[in-house]
Amino acid sequence: MTVRFSKSIRSLVLVASVALVVGCTRLGSQTTRPFFEPLAHDVPGAAGARLSVLWIGHATMLIQIDDKWILTDPFLVRTMGQIQRRVSPVGLDVDRLPTIDAVLISHMHFDHLSLGSLERIERRVRRLFVPEGGLVYVTDFAFDARELRAWRCFEENGLRITAVPVDHDGGRYGLDSAWMTKSATGYVVEYHGLSFYFGGDTAYDQREFLRTRRLFPHLDLALLPIAPIHPRDHMRTLHMDPDEALDALSDLGARTMIPMHFDTLVAGTDAPGEARELLTVRARARGMVDRVDLLRIGERRVVVPMAK
Amino acid sequence: MHAARPSAAKRNCDVLVCRDWTETPRFVHSRVPFRHRGAAAGVAIAVYLRGRAAFGDDAVTEPAIRPTPLWLVAQLAPSPEIAYGESVARLGLRWQLTPLLYSFGTNRRLSPWRIGVVEPLVRQSGSVELFLSPEYLVRGPTFWDGWLWRTGLRTYLPIVERGDYLSVSFGASCYEFAGRAGASYEIGAYVLFGIVGAQITFSPRSGPAQTIATLRLRYF
Repeated sequence: MTVRFSKSIRSLVLVASVALVVGCTRLGSQTTRPFFEPLAHDVPGAAGARLSVLWIGHATMLIQIDDKWILTDPFLVRTMGQIQRRVSPVGLDVDRLPTIDAVLISHMHFDHLSLGSLERIERRVRRLFVPEGGLVYVTDFAFDARELRAWRCFEENGLRITAVPVDHDGGRYGLDSAWMTKSATGYVVEYHGLSFYFGGDTAYDQREFLRTRRLFPHLDLALLPIAPIHPRDHMRTLHMDPDEALDALSDLGARTMIPMHFDTLVAGTDAPGEARELLTVRARARGMVDRVDLLRIGERRVVVPMAK
Repeated sequence: MHAARPSAAKRNCDVLVCRDWTETPRFVHSRVPFRHRGAAAGVAIAVYLRGRAAFGDDAVTEPAIRPTPLWLVAQLAPSPEIAYGESVARLGLRWQLTPLLYSFGTNRRLSPWRIGVVEPLVRQSGSVELFLSPEYLVRGPTFWDGWLWRTGLRTYLPIVERGDYLSVSFGASCYEFAGRAGASYEIGAYVLFGIVGAQITFSPRSGPAQTIATLRLRYF
């Protein structure tokens, strides 16, 4: 088993090591032709709006609620977990982001807690919230980072953020799911009498949705994930499909739903655009079209306009 | 301008536990993250001296990390390596254990110490670890001739995505191999959350294992 090599073996090993590192890091810098072209616009805020939403992609939503700005699960980089490239570009020039009053992190998966994305917006963020046990994966940043356990809330200057339970995996690297059993959450944000629900990433859990409704019976908006759909036997335990998202909308009693968590990454075995089409069909069949607002990445919607 | 609708949460405040964070913070620390209480005593003193626990955190949850069967299996997986010395290259395997790690990259409100089980980000985001590395190099007439025992200190520095995507390490160790003891120096680079990496270990006074190149494969 002893192998003889020339004296250049050390150089070869060194070159191979450097190639490995450079090759892997290059994965993160490659560009790709997008499946879905984002809408381009300059100003994220909506004039004359009390509650508006801009879909930046995946579960990243920029929400304006009067004079407050909330950003959910910022995923603003090209790759997820160093390997998987996003199929749609980021729906907003990050340099145009306003100062964010609160960043909400729903759980620790790479497409929801993106440390590279947080680095890009670090100076624009006042506070960041993570679910119980999630702080371990938020390395030191310039902004204040806090944990919110289920049914706990943070309140400051009228802005109230409450963590609400959802049904999802809380780990980041797989093995840690054994102890990070509570590190996935949804949030309800209330301000000046307006409120919205952010579901993060969740399976359909009627009990928790109904509990949330009992505490927050006047939700103006629900941001709900609708994908990945397939393979359903596996995904059902972690993710809602469009039909279940409509069930969740009914359970929560929110006036409007804006779907998310689709058209950004290749997830499961879904065909491109499948979640969007299925939601349209199912909402029509169930007579809920007027309660579902299907955005394109980069598109902004005024949910509650300013009273005239 | 503002709607007169009452806050639902306020009407249910017997259920909701709300708190204004601008009040004086209350210190609530949950479980110590390790199970080995005896060995943890010294670590606890160090934590105290460093003063991290002095933060007035209202809700800080130390991860309840623990060895699991999957973790144990992951530790048994070796990293392949090639040792070069005396004009001969030998194939080998390296196992890596971390009895103690201090992370200076993890969130400042949490304990920086880990014993045994270490989350990838806690290690790769910046840390100093005490490591033990049994290595087996194909050498000599008997099975026992090939074992190399190494212990040392290694520091990890994050480069990209807080170390999740790329980190580097520098370390020094002492070893015992073929009846001889010596010192080694090493450098390494890691991608994919530290799962894959390359390490070069140089031992000036070791004849048969002077330079070792390791494809480091490590999960937790």
